[in-house]
Amino acid sequence: MALFGFEKDTLLDLTVNVIPLGIILFFIAAFAVVPAFGTDPVFTGMQFALMISMFLLLAVLTYYAGRAIEGAEQEQESLEEASAVNEPEGEVTGLEDGDDAEAELDDASADGDDE
Amino acid sequence: MAAGDLVLTGLMAVLLVGIAALLTRIENWRSYTPLAGGGTATGETVVHREKPAGIVRWLTTVDHKDIGLLYGVYAVIAFAVGGIMAMLIRLQLVTPGGALLGANAYNSILTSHGITMLFLFGTPIIAAFANYFIPLLIGADDMAFPRINAIAFWLLPPAALLIWAGFFLAPVTENMIEPAQTAWTMYTPLSVEQTNPGVDLMLLGLHLSGVAATMGAINFIATVFTERAEEVTWANLDIFSWTILTQSALILFAFPLLGSAIVMLLLDRNLATTFFAVEGGGPLLWQHLFWFFGHPEVYILVLPPMGLVSLILPKFAGRKLFGFKFVVYSTLAIGVLSFGVWAHHMFSTGMDPRLRASFMAVSLAIAIPSAVKTFNWITTMWNGRLRLTSPMLFCIGFISNFIIGGVTGVFLAAIPVDLVLHDTYYVVGHFHYIVMGAIGFAAFAGIYYWFPVFTGRMYQRTLGKAHFWLSMIGTNVTFFAMLALGYLGMPRRYATYQFDGAIAPLAQVQTYHLLATVGAVLLFVGQLIFVWNVVQSWLEGPKVEDGDPWDLERDGMLDREFQWFDRKLETAVTDGGEDEEQSALTGARSDD
Ligand code: HEM
Ligand SMILES: [Cu+2]
Repeated sequence: MALFGFEKDTLLDLTVNVIPLGIILFFIAAFAVVPAFGTDPVFTGMQFALMISMFLLLAVLTYYAGRAIEGAEQEQESLEEASAVNEPEGEVTGLEDGDDAEAELDDASADGDDE
Repeated sequence: MAAGDLVLTGLMAVLLVGIAALLTRIENWRSYTPLAGGGTATGETVVHREKPAGIVRWLTTVDHKDIGLLYGVYAVIAFAVGGIMAMLIRLQLVTPGGALLGANAYNSILTSHGITMLFLFGTPIIAAFANYFIPLLIGADDMAFPRINAIAFWLLPPAALLIWAGFFLAPVTENMIEPAQTAWTMYTPLSVEQTNPGVDLMLLGLHLSGVAATMGAINFIATVFTERAEEVTWANLDIFSWTILTQSALILFAFPLLGSAIVMLLLDRNLATTFFAVEGGGPLLWQHLFWFFGHPEVYILVLPPMGLVSLILPKFAGRKLFGFKFVVYSTLAIGVLSFGVWAHHMFSTGMDPRLRASFMAVSLAIAIPSAVKTFNWITTMWNGRLRLTSPMLFCIGFISNFIIGGVTGVFLAAIPVDLVLHDTYYVVGHFHYIVMGAIGFAAFAGIYYWFPVFTGRMYQRTLGKAHFWLSMIGTNVTFFAMLALGYLGMPRRYATYQFDGAIAPLAQVQTYHLLATVGAVLLFVGQLIFVWNVVQSWLEGPKVEDGDPWDLERDGMLDREFQWFDRKLETAVTDGGEDEEQSALTGARSDD
């Protein structure tokens, strides 16, 4: 299963944010179906804008955080596989650099000593 | 008309995003890496030059550990000042007519108590832990920008002087300049109409503290993103760093907004602009701007303490944090959603009911990530090998108090309930369960947990436990009584309460006020013990010889900061030389 390209474990972790997303979605639907206070272009617009923007922002952030963490995890796994005895990184495996998934987020881990 | 405003706002937003995008294209900000960072690629902290001795060292330091200690001392002093103010408030309310203070003095003290505790204690105590321990936890040599770090701290003492200025100046200016009496929310039109220049000074001080917080936040974001040791990845970044990262992002979006709103308020006060006047933007504009900052601010204050508990609790439960990733993702969720709930502080202002309903929806959604964490902490302790040390006791107290604070918050987030309880002591009880019962407790947990690291000594365990029990009982007596007072309809922020017994049961109200004061006395005694314990143990406590004072190795939970501590102890023993990294007092005593 690869929903949005995530592994099953990561998806399971992400459910924690699916619940608030669901609650917001519920209210969006409820307010759309039962507009208890009538509708008005400006205020109804703002009402839904608030909920929808929160929904989208949370969804996007969750997606990217999941990506970053999963990427870093796979990285680590492949490192561990490559060095069965877990010797210091890079000595035998030569893998310590050029890890692109991490490099995207953390292009500086290697150049902290550029003074 | 309103639609036109919306369109304009939208265009403005597009413009700003455009500018930001442009700036990221032309500026390569990585090239600004300062030279002052020091250190080598091995991840060891290296001190290039010897630090100057005595007071000059503390005035000129750019070492993150020194700055962390400075923040800590500053925060504890502010905590003492705010605590004494709180005691005055509680003593005042023992009798309906007010026991000590006039109405003006009461308002001044109430205002300063709130601002002191939130901005001069809360934010700095978190910065203290973050400065000292984030670089150690992520294996960095120092903060990304050590000098900005120092500047950010040194803005705080003048901020405090400005915020408290009225108290110093009132006696010498014959009350021409009084302390601000605006309450910490500084609602207009009251805050515009009070001509007292002390309000301007307070606003400037607040602005300064916001600048300091923003500089600190930028520094933490840069540090966590760019200074991590190679083996620290997004997958194994510790939980405290995650919460500080999220908190810093919140600060980055929230505090500049407070700063702008404060400037607008200053202009309204002094240059007759009409941002918040009825004929201009209207008084509600202030509330929207303030709470757009104010609600994220409460999460700015609570996220890192949640991180501290998530870090410390597992160490004494003998089990890894249950659902580590849940905690990480829910922290991020809180970070985002906290910007969509601000108007739950304004339910009773007569805003549009449709809009109000949407704020309720998001407020209910944000309760979930908080609740998730609570279950994670409880599950971590489940079947664990609990060791009830002082830091652990404070962590457990945190959870207990956070549950009450959180549940009362969810009640308040429901519009019908809020319309009844708004501006009563129920609200005061709600947020004090969190700011004292949770944030304060997490700070104590952190101080006790890392006491060996930053002092090289051990605190007195019995006193630590006495501190815990007095704080736990005191907190619950005081703030539970406040919840009850809220149900009885006691409004907040009143210097006296001599109301007609037909409106509400005056005798009961007085009893609960008395209870709250008794609880506050317990709390106060507890804090005296705490200060005594810290000071005396720092000076005379038994030296810690073991790099693993909490016996964490056994469960494989010795984090980097304790490994660093262990190395420090070992090098100090083997080469017998001077250890430049010694913390304040040990360093001063053994070397000079
Ligand atoms: C579980 C999530 C929370 C919810 C749903 C919630 C909800 C609320 C609501 C609706 C109010 C407004 C009450 C009123 O004035 O009528 C309120 C007030 C307040 N809350 Fe919370 N809260 C939550 C968590 C927190 C946290 C974590 C903190 C602090 C770190 C906090 C601090 C405050 C403060 C300071 C106020 C009072 C502001 C004032 O009027 O002076 N709350 N809360
Ligand atoms: Cu709020």
